[in-house]
Amino acid sequence: MKGLTKNLVLVLAIALVLMGCKQPTQQINDAQAAIDEVKKGGADKYAVAEFKKLEDAMKAANDEIATQDKKFFKKFGTAKDMLAKVKTDAEALKAALPGMIEAAKNAAIQAQTEAKAAIDEAKALLEKAPTGKGTKKDIDALKADLAGAETAFAEIQTALDGQDYIGAADKAKAVKEKAVAVGDQVKAAIEKTKKK
Amino acid sequence: MKKRTKKGRVLFLALILFSFACKAPPVPPEVAEAETLEQTLRGAGGFVYAEENYARFQAGLKAARENLAREKAKWGWLRNYGPLQSEFRDLLKKGSDLLREARERKAAASRNVAEQILPLKTRIDRLKNMTHYFNESGTVRKNLSQAEIKLAEADLLIRKEQFEPVREKLQNCSLYIEEAEAATFSILSRYLDKGELEKWNRWADETIAESQKKGIVAIVVNKLERRLVLYNKGAAAASYEIGLGKYGLSDKLYSGDDATPEGRYLVIRKIPSSPFYKALLINYPNEEDKRAFAAAKKNGLVPSEVGIGGSIEIHGGGKDSLTKGCVGLEDKDMDEVYRLAGTGTPVTIVGALSIENSILAEIKKLRKND
Repeated sequence: MKGLTKNLVLVLAIALVLMGCKQPTQQINDAQAAIDEVKKGGADKYAVAEFKKLEDAMKAANDEIATQDKKFFKKFGTAKDMLAKVKTDAEALKAALPGMIEAAKNAAIQAQTEAKAAIDEAKALLEKAPTGKGTKKDIDALKADLAGAETAFAEIQTALDGQDYIGAADKAKAVKEKAVAVGDQVKAAIEKTKKK
Repeated sequence: MKKRTKKGRVLFLALILFSFACKAPPVPPEVAEAETLEQTLRGAGGFVYAEENYARFQAGLKAARENLAREKAKWGWLRNYGPLQSEFRDLLKKGSDLLREARERKAAASRNVAEQILPLKTRIDRLKNMTHYFNESGTVRKNLSQAEIKLAEADLLIRKEQFEPVREKLQNCSLYIEEAEAATFSILSRYLDKGELEKWNRWADETIAESQKKGIVAIVVNKLERRLVLYNKGAAAASYEIGLGKYGLSDKLYSGDDATPEGRYLVIRKIPSSPFYKALLINYPNEEDKRAFAAAKKNGLVPSEVGIGGSIEIHGGGKDSLTKGCVGLEDKDMDEVYRLAGTGTPVTIVGALSIENSILAEIKKLRKND
């Protein structure tokens, strides 16, 4: 009886060692599935850095598995921990994603507000711009430039309504850049006439 | 009994050791290489630049992983990774090809984008320069402004290495540029018209001939060149830079269009002190102008409440091209013209006399873009 118990313990011990030698295939699949899920939710657009971190962590886990695979006494414990963390982090990112998308939306709205402010400032400058000899033609041209920026400004709202928050923010930045450029040229024209 | 137990234990251990010695074959290194390759493909944008082949690779990898799991589930010495190794090697080959394809397409997309942007910028700059030369209702500049905004959006995408959506931005940019070009062309294309040039040259020649025949002063205004040439007895006596109406390169049709008329006129009054220094009033509208106005009105091209206009002068006050249709000169130049011209002096205003002009060269380039 004693001998049998001892043998059983021995078998169990060996089995445990052998079990640790198996590649964590299920954990790999689970971690990858979690990453794919969070990507579907828009993480690659709205949480670029975090998503990259996840991908890099997955790569690191795979590298660890590859390293262990080459050894005689394989230990996949660390890899399993890494994969579990990837899965947890992916799930956490998925939970945080709605907040990030909301943040992107708010950033786009803020950019839209700034673009509007830049347009309004340029408009105000144009209204008080000198229209005498040598400047009226330029001022007329700048008014037309600003009209172009105003038309483009309307597209920002369309992008927001379509939930393309990154696109809306980019548009707003481009419009603001144009409006600021117009404003700067008007200021330069005003300065020029003051010096005369 | 003790001996038997000891023997049994030794045998058992030997069996275990034997199992260990006949250890499971190692998982082929190709398995780990395939995992690494998958990550590399993801980073290289395989799913963007080689979508179909990437999906096929993923499917192949998934199947191979499942086969691997099945093989590993077997007892150590029953495992045979031979076929699996071939499967993963095949995947690695396909994956490497796919990686090369994705990288090449990404590089090509980047080059393609750069090649598209430069000509667009050139066209924008060219048109902008032209708008410094002539005034237009704002259509050209407005479209150019929107074109530049699209380029700025494209630039933001390029910085994020998102080359696919850049294409749409550049297409939109091109459309705005085409609108601007069409608006520019509609204003200036008649200056390339052979019939118009012949007519203008005929007017100018007849005016100069009259100056010579009658021994009088005559004035020829060339709108495209922005020049007023004063002839005395058929010889060019002086030449001055001028300004035109706000939309002076168009032929005046009605009151308020800010265009400078084209035709053969006469000075009908000398005004020593006008709001714009000295002035020479000409007899616009002449009979031809009246006929053109009537026809345009009949065809609905002129607002019903608008008249043909008048009070077109050659005057001082500067040459900044912002008159209501008059020909503007610097005051010192106006002094000379006023001194030499008199009531009855022929004044011929033409669009152009030659197609050898830098603006027309630019217009021709626009036509080449069609």
